[in-house]
Formats: sequence, structure tokens, C-alpha cells
Amino acid sequence: MSSIPQRALGKTGAKVSAIGLGGHHLGDPKSYVECEQIVHEAIDAGVTFFDNCWEYHNGKSEDWAGRAIGSTGKRKSLFLMSKVCTHGRSAAMAMQMLDESLRRMRTDYLDLWQVHGVCFENDPELAAAKGGVFEALDRAKRDGKVRFVGFTGHKDPSIHLKMIATGYPFDTVQMPLNCYDGTWRSFEQRVVPEAQKRGISVLGMKPMTGKAGPIAKGDATAAEMLRYAMSLPVATTICGINTVEHLRQNLEVVRDFQPMSADEMRALRERCRARAADGRYELYKVSLQFDNPQARLAHGFPLDAKNMEVKEALESFTNLSPPRP
Amino acid sequence: MSNGTTRRDLLKLTTTGAALAMTGCMPAAPPPETPMASTSSARARTSAIPKRSFGRTNVMVSAIGVGGFHLGGVPDENDAVRIVHEAIDSGITFFDNAWEYHDGKSEEILGRALVGKREGVFLMTKVCTHGRDRAVGMQQLEDSLRRLKTDHLDLWQVHECVYDDDPELHFASGGVIEALVEAKKQGKARNVGFTGHKDPNIHLAMLARGFAFDSAQMPLNCFDATFRSFEQNVVPVARKQGLAVIGMKSMGGEGQAVQAGVVTPEEALRYAMSIPGVTVTVSGIDSLDILRQNLAVARGFEPMTADEMAALRARVAGPAADGHFELYKTTKHFDARVGREQHGYPSPDELPL
Repeated sequence: MSSIPQRALGKTGAKVSAIGLGGHHLGDPKSYVECEQIVHEAIDAGVTFFDNCWEYHNGKSEDWAGRAIGSTGKRKSLFLMSKVCTHGRSAAMAMQMLDESLRRMRTDYLDLWQVHGVCFENDPELAAAKGGVFEALDRAKRDGKVRFVGFTGHKDPSIHLKMIATGYPFDTVQMPLNCYDGTWRSFEQRVVPEAQKRGISVLGMKPMTGKAGPIAKGDATAAEMLRYAMSLPVATTICGINTVEHLRQNLEVVRDFQPMSADEMRALRERCRARAADGRYELYKVSLQFDNPQARLAHGFPLDAKNMEVKEALESFTNLSPPRP
Repeated sequence: MSNGTTRRDLLKLTTTGAALAMTGCMPAAPPPETPMASTSSARARTSAIPKRSFGRTNVMVSAIGVGGFHLGGVPDENDAVRIVHEAIDSGITFFDNAWEYHDGKSEEILGRALVGKREGVFLMTKVCTHGRDRAVGMQQLEDSLRRLKTDHLDLWQVHECVYDDDPELHFASGGVIEALVEAKKQGKARNVGFTGHKDPNIHLAMLARGFAFDSAQMPLNCFDATFRSFEQNVVPVARKQGLAVIGMKSMGGEGQAVQAGVVTPEEALRYAMSIPGVTVTVSGIDSLDILRQNLAVARGFEPMTADEMAALRARVAGPAADGHFELYKTTKHFDARVGREQHGYPSPDELPL
């Protein structure tokens, strides 16, 4: 059995598996045992990159992943990432979130800590403001609580570019990268080259557009979509996986992975172009209803109370208090 | 293609807006100041509506225009005609319309209102091929001329360039751009242009084709100024090419921001009309009250200073940053059904947007 390719994380000196396990989906299973099975099988197969986020499933994702990883005793050989969810709020709040993330993930350091969900036009400005989250990134690195820092977002390449243009020395930047993004409001076209130019390592997510719409509609296969995403100049491609079966399907592609040729990639992009052009499969770029309700609340944006995801969020979130401290 | 559906979409959107408001999460906006001091109000009442030259031409048009969609939505057609007549009597010369507004009713009402008053009016309507061929465009032109009871349009624009592949479809061999050329040659359209509300990049792609458009129409308002901005990205390019810039949606389309108390209608309209390079601001007017409110701003209009504009932009940049005041950019609700059908896209009912 061939192993999962390992790639350099930009110029950091670290190496990570070419596929990463998404933290949100790890909180999906009905029981911890199922989550643990996915994590253990992934580690045994050679996955080292683990994504997570302070706000996923209200902390359950971090808690379960931390417990499952801790039980293997292999923490030090793995690459753990989590994200901070200030959404424009203060550095002090960010440090509090970091301590919670470390506690839940049963570790005293994160390999990578990223600013989560940079999606609104004024997010870069708020992050860079005095007392904003950039100061927390500095402090966390200085305190040895995180090795590397970066940011994530799914909305708009121009917002990513604004964030990069702040000049903050990010180690990584995470974005949706798939064969639909390849031609439409494209992170691939606009952000990847800029990140490369600055030596910021690119992390891909949503290789199958998040909800796998094109696969359900028969427009593309999971294997070709994952291959496309992994063939871009990325350190890793983060996949949301909530069953062992999904994990095994992805591992099949990854184990035999040969990058697509430039011609193959172009052909797939062209095939997808017409249905990419209205964003139907990339609703995270289009619809306000796909915005993170927590982030909307932090910004003071209205929520659509009839929206199912908002309803669920309002029921489950505990940290709905106004911006703190 | 039905305008019943368009209206339904808009009504549905309003319902969503109500749901949004329900949660009471609106940021507390500072109380907007009344933009006009009493002295300027007094002057405004006695002054005329400014006129500006239209693009590369010497033709002058009023700095404010009457939107065609809203005319078709006035419950009593006689009231819609009264709006047009009072607008003309007040010095408005620019009238907007589109072949597909309310299934033709908007054009018919305007045509009826313009009988005996066509001269001196700058009449625009839009062609709605949504990617179909020039023959469809030429047929629509004949429909529009008949309904508007005229033998020529002052401006004919390609309606709703809102999908990434629209520039390609319009400029394809046999596409609607050929209809624009033909209509000009026949003297049925004096000027030609295009419109769209979705994405500055699509406008830029239209402008990059090297075609001699006379105008481009786009949303221009204080929210657009910092969010996926036509003002920042398109206006400078259009000006450089010598086009007339037609602004629309001065209040963000449906005035949600006005309802939320973030801006007053007066300051929103003043901002839109003050953008350097804008030729005319098309305003949706469905009552004499709204007309008079707009006229009060337009009479003796003096643009905001650069500092005033910057201050307003800064004040609303936060609430504008997610695009909920510009739902035409961020949802499908403002996109015509027929356009989606032509492109083979799912209908708005199938997309949770």
C-alpha cells in the first residue's frame, strides 16, 4: 500500500500530509466512538494534518478530536490546527479562546492557529486594528502556544487579498479550492499566486464544494474533484469526513495520487465553467445564509431567524453574549 | 417570462427582510443628520434640476431619472401617469424602462404618459435577450417602440448583465451586441449601453471588449462604495472610455438601510448623485410623495463635498460589510427568472438564497 504524500508547509520547515481531516465533520457523528474510529484510522493511514476550530459544534469538535488524538499518544508526530473566532473582537478574547482550544485538544501547543472566517469587507481592518486579533497571534507565538499562524475564509478573493495586503507575516492562508472555484470568483486565480509570491503556504478546503452538490447532480465525481484540488500548489487539502467509509474513499484517491496535468485541469475547469458561473455549487461565496451566524452576531448583522441553520445555531451556542471582554 | 414572478420574488424578499429585522440585531446607528440646512432647502425650492451632458454627446439630461419598474407597480395607472407628468413639469427628462418590466406594462404606461410630451424627454429602455440572439433583441425593440409610442429611443441598453458568461454570450456572433449596432444604424436607438447589478468584474469584462458603448448603468450608493464596489472599480474605467454613467439603487434597492435607520433617504440620494462622473441617478418612484421627496433633493442640487462623502462611507462601512443592504449583489432575488432559464440555472425557488 502506497503512503500518503507529505508536503512542505511553505517555508516553515514543517511537513504535513497532503490531505487533512476537517474538524467540523468530526463533530457530526452521533457518538464519540465513531469520531475516534475515523481519527485513529486516518492516523494509521498516514494523515498528520488535523483541522479544527474553537466554535465548531460549540467546542465538541475540538474536544472529541483532542480526546481521540490524545489516546494514540502520537500528538508530537501530528500537526494540529485550530482557529480563533473573534470575528473582529479583541486580542484578549482571542487568548481566552486559545486557552480553551488547548484544554479541549489536550495539548500545550498548536502547530497552527488561524483567524477563522474572514468573510466581511471590514474584517481585515478589524483584525489589524490596535487591540485586534493580530496582537493575539503575536503573543501566542511568543508564548510558545502556537508554532505558526494564518487565516481562513470562504467568501471573496478580494477580502483575502485585503487581509494579505495588511502585511501581517502569515505562515498560512486557507481558502476554498476546487474545480468550480477555478473559473468563478476564483481564489485559485487571484489569491494563490499572491500567497505564493509572499511565501505564504496555501491550505485548500471544500475540494468538493463543501456540500458535494456537483457529485449529487452527477456533474463531477468525488475522485476527480479531490484530484483537482490536490493538484493545485497547496500544502494540504482539508476534507470534511464524517464516516469511516468517506475516509476510505478519500484515502483511495490520496494513496494513488498523481497530480493532474495542466491540460487535464483545464479540461475539467472548462467542463464545469457553465455551471460554476452562477455560484450554485459554491453558495458559501454567494449567500448571506451561509455566513457563520456567530460571525454575523459579532458584527451586529441581522440574522434570518427562519433559517434552519440559524435556528440550530441559536439553540446550541452558549457564547451569544455581546462582544467581550 | 412574467413580471408577476419578478414581483413575487421581490415580495418574498421583503418578507425575508422582515424576518431579518425580527431578531433585533441591527447595530445601533448614530442618528442620521438631516443633510440640508433650512437655507439650502429654501434655495432648493426655487432652483432647477441640474442637467448634465450625456457621455460623449452634447445632449443634456436631468441629473435624476424616473425608474420604469416602479411605474408599472403603481396600483392605479392614472397615478403612474401623474408621476410622469409631474416629473416632466419639474424638469426631469430622463426616463428608464425595460422590455420585460411587468410584462410590458411599464413601457405601456410610460408610452401613454409621453403622448404629446415625447420631445425634450430622454427615453431609455432595455433589451432582455439574456443571452439569446439578435433577432430576439430586434423583435423586442419593435415591441418597445410600439408600447412607448415612439419611433426612436434615446438610449437602448442590454439589460441585466449579471452572470460571468454574459459578456461572452452578448458578444458572440449573432448576439445582442449586433442588435445594438443594427438599431443604431436604423436610427431606432441613438445611444446604446448595458446594465447590471451583480458584480463589478462583469461590468469590467463588458467594457474590456472594445465596443463603443455610450453608457453603462450600475448600482451606485453609499453601501456600494465599500462593498464589491462599482464606484471604485467601474466608474473610473467607464469615465476613461467617455461613457455616460447611470447610477441606480441609490437606497440599496429596497431601502432596507433607510428602514433600519442607518441613512436617511435624502443623504442616500445625495451621496449617489454626488459621485464624481455619474451622469444621472435613476430612482424608483411609485408615488407622488416619493417623487416630491426626490425633487426636493434634486432641485438646486449641490454635490456633497469629498469630506462629506468620506464621512458617510465611513459611517456605513460596518453595516455594509456583509452586503445585506445590497441584496441584488448577494442573492438571486433580483435576477430575472427568464435570465436564469436562458442560462439553464436553477430557479430562485430551488436555491436557498
